[in-house]
Amino acid sequence: MDDTTKVIIIPCSGIGKTYGTVSREAAYEVIDVICPQTSTLVPLSKLVLGDEEAKTAIAENRVITIDGCALACATKMVEESGGSVNHQFAVLDAYRRHRQMKPRGISELNEGGLQLAHALATEIAAAVDELQGEENA
Amino acid sequence: MPELPQKKVGIVACSGEEIAEGTVTRLAALKVLEELRPQDTVTICLPLFLAGGEGERAFARFYPTIAIDGCDLRCAARATEAFSGKPAASIVVTDIIAEKGFNPPQGLRRLNEAGQQAVQETADRTAALVDELLDKKWSRRNGGFRNGDFIEQAPRPQTATCTVVQACACGSGIPVQIVDIAGHEATIIALPAIFEQFRVAGKGPSAETTAAILEQVKIYNTLNTEDEKAYRDMLSREYSTFWGAEEQVV
Repeated sequence: MDDTTKVIIIPCSGIGKTYGTVSREAAYEVIDVICPQTSTLVPLSKLVLGDEEAKTAIAENRVITIDGCALACATKMVEESGGSVNHQFAVLDAYRRHRQMKPRGISELNEGGLQLAHALATEIAAAVDELQGEENA
Repeated sequence: MPELPQKKVGIVACSGEEIAEGTVTRLAALKVLEELRPQDTVTICLPLFLAGGEGERAFARFYPTIAIDGCDLRCAARATEAFSGKPAASIVVTDIIAEKGFNPPQGLRRLNEAGQQAVQETADRTAALVDELLDKKWSRRNGGFRNGDFIEQAPRPQTATCTVVQACACGSGIPVQIVDIAGHEATIIALPAIFEQFRVAGKGPSAETTAAILEQVKIYNTLNTEDEKAYRDMLSREYSTFWGAEEQVV
């Protein structure tokens, strides 16, 4: 499958809090493990810089954002870069749904953080499948 | 005279999630922030320069900032310069790897040994730069070194429409306050912190206090001389409100 037909995953790029790490871990699990054929990642830093290739990718593909905090940088940057967000996920919302999975750690997530990232990745993968289904319909 | 906020060095990592070198930047920045120079460094997420408020955009003007990039696209350095202020220093991981002859790092989620080497080297160099920058005199008003070394003057922050006092999601943003000056809205960098320090020092509202606050405001903000009376009136009004609100809480 060509990259141009993949669902774009854009995680938060926060490095100061554990929720940013959870968002990245979930994104990596989706693109590397669960949906490697149907999803790919665009780094937020390229959108901040206004990279044309990144802007084209989000303009021409379905986009899923994963925000680490209420400021929702990933979602805002996609919208400001000319794309539209098909699904928005927030780590805090995922944590509210999975209170038993308390994330800790930034460089290295604890077991709760890894579980939360996995649960979030599973939800995101379902959204990827749904968007791919719409694309192919 | 109240003590001003401690001088720190800002760290902005590209955090590029699609390459291993991006992971190196993130982990190196964290090593500096948490282990090597925790008392002397702060960080901000790169997207907050656009998604955040005036406090975030003032970051590289308020703090001499080191941009850590994974590749020669230099997203962190270029975006920081475009939206906040010119970084005081810049590090590119691929340059370090080439210079040291390390193998290419691999593993977005879990770096290989070469990646770990790159993290250590990048962190060590960043920490050395932090020490170097702390030794230099930094002008928060101009966003550059006072002796004019290699930093150009940063642009003045744009006026925001929001009246909320903001702080960045990493807990390290610059506090700002939106105020009315002679009928015009203006963003005053560091005003909440200045007010708080005067209150803690027990300086109640008075002409003398207003004059002292104005001197502090000038350190962080560019004021036209002809606007001084309007600023003085605004500061007198705002500090009285601040003082009164704090007194009620107590």
